Amino acid sequence: MSWRPIARREFADVIEGRSMRIGMAFVAFVFVAGGYVAGGSTSGDVATYASQLSGLVPLVVTVFALLVGYRAIVADRAAGRLTLLLTLPHSRWDVLAGKFAARGTVIVGSILAGLLVGGWLVSYPFGTVDGVTFLVYLGATLLFALALFAISLALSTLTASPRRATVGAFAVIVAVLFWRNLRGTFARVLDALGLATPAGGLPDWALFVYGAEPSLVYDRIVEGFVVGRETGTFLGPDAPWYLGGEVAVLLLFAWFVGPLVGGYRRFRGTDL
Amino acid sequence: MPAIRAQDVTKRYGSVTAVDRIDLTVEEGEVFGFLGHNGAGKSTTINMLLDFARPTKGTIEVFGKDCQADSVAARKHMGVLPEGYAVYDSLTGREHIEFAMESKGVEGEPFDVLDRLDITHAADRPAGGYSKGMAQRLVLGMALVGNPDLLVLDEPTSGLDPNGAKAMREIIREENERGTTVFFSSHVLEQVEAVADRVGIMHHGTLAAVDTIEGLRETAGGGTKLLITVDTPDEAHIETIEATEGVDSAWLDEDGQFVVTCEDDAKLDVLVALDERGVDVVDFSTEEASLEDLFVEYTRGTA
Repeated sequence: MSWRPIARREFADVIEGRSMRIGMAFVAFVFVAGGYVAGGSTSGDVATYASQLSGLVPLVVTVFALLVGYRAIVADRAAGRLTLLLTLPHSRWDVLAGKFAARGTVIVGSILAGLLVGGWLVSYPFGTVDGVTFLVYLGATLLFALALFAISLALSTLTASPRRATVGAFAVIVAVLFWRNLRGTFARVLDALGLATPAGGLPDWALFVYGAEPSLVYDRIVEGFVVGRETGTFLGPDAPWYLGGEVAVLLLFAWFVGPLVGGYRRFRGTDL
Repeated sequence: MPAIRAQDVTKRYGSVTAVDRIDLTVEEGEVFGFLGHNGAGKSTTINMLLDFARPTKGTIEVFGKDCQADSVAARKHMGVLPEGYAVYDSLTGREHIEFAMESKGVEGEPFDVLDRLDITHAADRPAGGYSKGMAQRLVLGMALVGNPDLLVLDEPTSGLDPNGAKAMREIIREENERGTTVFFSSHVLEQVEAVADRVGIMHHGTLAAVDTIEGLRETAGGGTKLLITVDTPDEAHIETIEATEGVDSAWLDEDGQFVVTCEDDAKLDVLVALDERGVDVVDFSTEEASLEDLFVEYTRGTA
């Protein structure tokens, strides 16, 4: 359990930063504001809340999770603080677990605070909140945030250069935000290769690959289990099972676990 | 059980061999000075002790704990002043000591440590504002927390003024008197000479010599140093000198003098050999070789 001192120290350090506090407040504010708007009408419920936020949340959460995580290891490593820390009887696992716990708490705390207040605002004064649906939305959003955070933490273990980590974090943000615009391009490429459907669209396997990007996975979970949508290429009745919401949940878990395992293995095996 | 035991340890970075087949045993209770120029492989060896770097081959143990497989257990025995560290800018000196106590799972009064290192006056100031010397003392304080069995100090006097260096030596002595084994590296001979029981000299990644200070002195004292001034000094003449029987080694110093370490009765042979080559010997003198010469001899060509 010797990751605890590291986590405590890291947490105190992280929330001391002014820009970090602004970021936390902003993230919470987005969820609160969404709840305020959804609660303004009698038809307001968790589904309308989630729909309203669906354009904004992937952007805000991705940027926030990346910013919280990408310097976690690499900055300490480049400065020499990791050298000092690891002279003490801590394992590399302790370091990663401590950083994860501290910074993960910041992310979970901000979103949780925003969503709890937002959820209350949905139900007040006019709307209604179904407990289970709300918990699903909360869980999916937290898992999405933690997956992006895991990616940024892994990124932080990959390099000894803070500059490269910055470039990497920026690349991940751009990739996540622009990926959904590439569907037409993929279709054209596959069409040129003779792999597209007769109508010129993406075949199912390509939809799976295209739809495996974390923010699209998150969208699918929210639409399938919170909004209750049953149409479209992914969630419609004709879509194969592997494009559905249940598999999306597994994919999001994989985006959370995969980078953490990879990042840890990399960090454990590397010379400082 | 030896405090440190390295067996056949090699570390390669790509095609560069930083540490080459080192065998070293440091016994419990001794002060071991690890001497060598920057880049000789001292820090790489210490990094392997701490599991910052993994040996390409061989094993290192600290009090019987493998430094790689059982790194945390090995580091529980150690207090470490590493090289190339940074303190936490926003934490105060006292918080640093408290953090070390928490990490090592020991209770205690941070001020006992801070007093000992004479940084009590800065205890509640953020360590980011500390001078290099104060940071060095603070980190030594963190190393001393929990009374480790082995102190590992990488260039402990770097960044310290002469008074600070003296205080550092005193702490090394005090700790050693309490039974702590001390392993410290330095590129400054005087530092090592002043406190070490035994010395290991690193050169080009190999352990060129391991001996007590007395042993090294004897080795050095067994020879003579010959200083030769010639009219036109040339590196090529070194070969001529070294080819003479009884000569250990020869080099050209900054003043353009040949410095030759050799057996007593080989002196004349060297002068004759030079003369035969048509070298005009202007002047020569002899000195008894010192520890410094021995160090230079072991590590020549890298300074």
